[in-house]
Amino acid sequence: MSTFVQVLLNGTGRGAIYALLALGFVVIYKSTEVINFAHGSLALFGGYIVFALKPTLGWLGAAVCGVLAAAALAVLIERVLLARAKLASQDSLAILTIGVDILILTEITRRLGTASAPFLGDPYQDVRLRFLGATIEGPELFALLTAIVLIGGFFVAFRFSTWGLTMRAQSENKEAAALMGIRSWRVTASAWALGGALAAIAILFIATLPVAGGAGLTAAHTIAFAAFPAAILGGLTSPGGAVVGGLVVGLAESSASQYIDNDFAKVAVYLVMLVVLVARPSGLFGKVEQVRV
Amino acid sequence: MSETTRAEATGPTAGATGVDAAETDSAAPDGQGGMPAVHPRRDRRRWLLWGALVVVLFLVPIYLPGQYLIVSTWVMTGAVGAMGLTMLIGQAGQLSLAHSFFLLVGGVSYTVLSSDGTDGFVGLGLPTALSLVLAVAISAAVGAAFAPVSGRLTGIYLGVASLSLVFLGWWLARVLPSIAGSTSSGRYADDLNLFGFDFGEKSPTLAILGVPIGQNERLFWLYAALTLIAYFVARGAVDGRVGRAWRAVRDNEAAATVMGVSVVRQKSVAFAVSSAYAGLAGVMVVWWYDGLLKPDEAVDSGTYSTAVAIAYLAMVVIGGLGSLGGAIVGAAVVFGTPLIIPLLSQGDSSAVLSSGGTAFSPVVITYLAYGALIVLIVLFEPGGLAALGRRLTARLKRS
Amino acid sequence: MPDTTAHPTPGAPPADVPAGAREIPTLAVEDVTVRFGGIVALDAVSFSVAPRSIHALIGPNGAGKSTCFNAVTGIYRPTSGRVTLGDAVLTDTPPHQVARLGVGRAFQNLALVAGSSVLDNVMLGRYSLTSGGFLSYGLRLPRTMRAERRHEERAAEICDFLGIGAHLHRPAGVLSYGDQKRVDIARALAVEPTVLLLDEPAAGMNASETAELAHLIRDISTGLSISILLVEHDMGLVMGIADRVTVLDFGRLIADDTPAVVQKDPAVIRAYLGSVEEESA
Repeated sequence: MSTFVQVLLNGTGRGAIYALLALGFVVIYKSTEVINFAHGSLALFGGYIVFALKPTLGWLGAAVCGVLAAAALAVLIERVLLARAKLASQDSLAILTIGVDILILTEITRRLGTASAPFLGDPYQDVRLRFLGATIEGPELFALLTAIVLIGGFFVAFRFSTWGLTMRAQSENKEAAALMGIRSWRVTASAWALGGALAAIAILFIATLPVAGGAGLTAAHTIAFAAFPAAILGGLTSPGGAVVGGLVVGLAESSASQYIDNDFAKVAVYLVMLVVLVARPSGLFGKVEQVRV
Repeated sequence: MSETTRAEATGPTAGATGVDAAETDSAAPDGQGGMPAVHPRRDRRRWLLWGALVVVLFLVPIYLPGQYLIVSTWVMTGAVGAMGLTMLIGQAGQLSLAHSFFLLVGGVSYTVLSSDGTDGFVGLGLPTALSLVLAVAISAAVGAAFAPVSGRLTGIYLGVASLSLVFLGWWLARVLPSIAGSTSSGRYADDLNLFGFDFGEKSPTLAILGVPIGQNERLFWLYAALTLIAYFVARGAVDGRVGRAWRAVRDNEAAATVMGVSVVRQKSVAFAVSSAYAGLAGVMVVWWYDGLLKPDEAVDSGTYSTAVAIAYLAMVVIGGLGSLGGAIVGAAVVFGTPLIIPLLSQGDSSAVLSSGGTAFSPVVITYLAYGALIVLIVLFEPGGLAALGRRLTARLKRS
Repeated sequence: MPDTTAHPTPGAPPADVPAGAREIPTLAVEDVTVRFGGIVALDAVSFSVAPRSIHALIGPNGAGKSTCFNAVTGIYRPTSGRVTLGDAVLTDTPPHQVARLGVGRAFQNLALVAGSSVLDNVMLGRYSLTSGGFLSYGLRLPRTMRAERRHEERAAEICDFLGIGAHLHRPAGVLSYGDQKRVDIARALAVEPTVLLLDEPAAGMNASETAELAHLIRDISTGLSISILLVEHDMGLVMGIADRVTVLDFGRLIADDTPAVVQKDPAVIRAYLGSVEEESA
């Protein structure tokens, strides 16, 4: 029983982290139809800024700066690179973001070098809570709480605010939205900023001992990778799907590592996604596109 | 000039079309219209060129130092794999990030088939040439077995779904050390032995013009031959019925169907062909490492990792999606650069292998270079280096 | 497996059969209904295309013309009803085998491979008439290459017939819009169809181009003596060349007769005037 509770707790905690990443990924996709393969690098970049500023600004100041920096970098990628390649196909733009990902990942890995692994979870890394005979680690607990607040806030804003309305309008029909006076670039820029910020927030919980193990921030890019299957299996166009996808991935990972082994946990995530995709080619909540001739 | 821009602008997938204008259709000369004959008589000239190329490639190992031969053979493994991937992505329009998985399938198949099964490893002890052919066939079959997934998914969904194969392969190789070797010491496969000619011979008795023909020289010949064959076969298929079906599927599935193409079947054929090429490249990788087959420690770095899958993607993007010649150039850029930098800078080759540290090692420089190249090419030259090359030759001819 | 009686055997040298000698079957749309979710796009529509006739399918926007084409070519499966071509039931045939039964289709949005040569595009139409996979082309088997040559010659012939023979080796994407349209039709004809489907061939053309197109369609009809079914907006074109006109409105058949009769039909006039009002509103 307590093992099962433990699996659930770990899965939900990790799921919350993946949900944050996948939600940003989906928001970016909805606004620009770009699959952002640089999402892991946005997270890594935010984490690197936090790591670099922590000694001078303290954790909170560095965290705020890291999140803002990742948001700014995301907007920069969209404005400087993607906005210029409007004619390119969706696949080409995805490939472009792979190029961006290689650049950022290589440079930050180079900067981090072989020095001791950086950890970013200062305020909560030693917190531990007992619950029904199981333990929940600080980073996972705080990730869960943060995710509940942020994702809840997102859905309220998405449904009720003007920003949410313009966002939904644009993802339904870009041209019509432009005709109605919605300024396209503001919507896309805010979507990218949000995606970058969420990724950087996620990294604050990933780069900790319980989640990333001894490698800390250097393992973050790999872990953030699991946000792709999360977003895909939820259905790329559905923010709700991203949250569900994140939780599914988190739970698949924690149960696989509990009942089989840690290596298989990484694979299990992808196998679950594969099964979902074979059954539903556009993910659980994705829009099915009608072919037109 | 204006024609070129137009062709790119009208292409439904700007990245992919426009590329193959002169490239795909062998019958197409350089854009001059008004030729009444369907077949310009260029066959004889083409065979002469092939013949000249074979002679040059035969002579290369006699004049080129061994360390450059090692670089060339590594580039050729990349070229063979990239030709497969460029057909899948650029011709058939199927995004795949699973290429490194099929390298692993090819490498493991060859090793299992050709080894004699001593040392506690599984091995069937088949002749090496037969093992090579079977390894390629097995890779194709595994690629075709992915059809239920590849036929149903499109674009990015397929890309991420294919990524799961890399994870699956990584895990399987780890849990089956008797087949794939252990992650610490791996296992060894036999050299190719064709009619008594051992392509891995380290103490040769054969010498040409005073140059002893050892492993480096022999592997160069072998790899050059395999690359030429791979190119020749791909060229014929891409220019023919299969290639036409792929391009139709890529640009408009409904139109392809109406013309009689079974979209699901052609997608699966493209996946099988691409996997076969990757499988061949996988066997070449094993030979290149002196027959060592070793599973990766991590799923995102190593011989069969996601990083390699992305490196192959980089090759075909840099070369120009769909272009076979471009794939070879892309392989030279992505696989050649990290090995050639230390040779040219007279540095010791150990720097090649260590990518850690805060220095700009050759590997770091290569990664940065091809990351930047991908970005620049998608932004400014969607046809890749192949299109750039064509434009340059066209301009030179004009002036 | 549907029978392919009325069609030359795949691989046989085409056009050896003199025009007019080939048996051209009737294309019959029988009580076809297509539903998308709750929307009825086609409601129990029946009409038939007489052999060697030019048959027009017209109607206001959203009348179900394209849906009808897609049902004939197997892109959409009808909810009920069937489409037959002679003895073959098209609606029971896998979509990619419809071409083999003698149905060629040109597209409204062209759907050419822009980067490939004109010849390459037209050769796609020979797909079901040829055979040979990756290896037989890759190894350039003599038999495959001989067949390829033969079919290329036939494709070039078709291009000449359509007046684009001078562009065989140019990328399709660089041709003028009118010529691209011809490439699209050439590709449909390369299927050696007994019935040719043209989806809004005059869309985006000016008056003189449309007049040229009318000539071309008539040339195809008399020269190859096959049936032609066309969807068209341009009334002038339709009334000038069609032998028979079928009018759809909101998925329902409202008229099916000769152009002269249809033109005077009050229901047709109402449908068209109604749609004009809606569009300008």
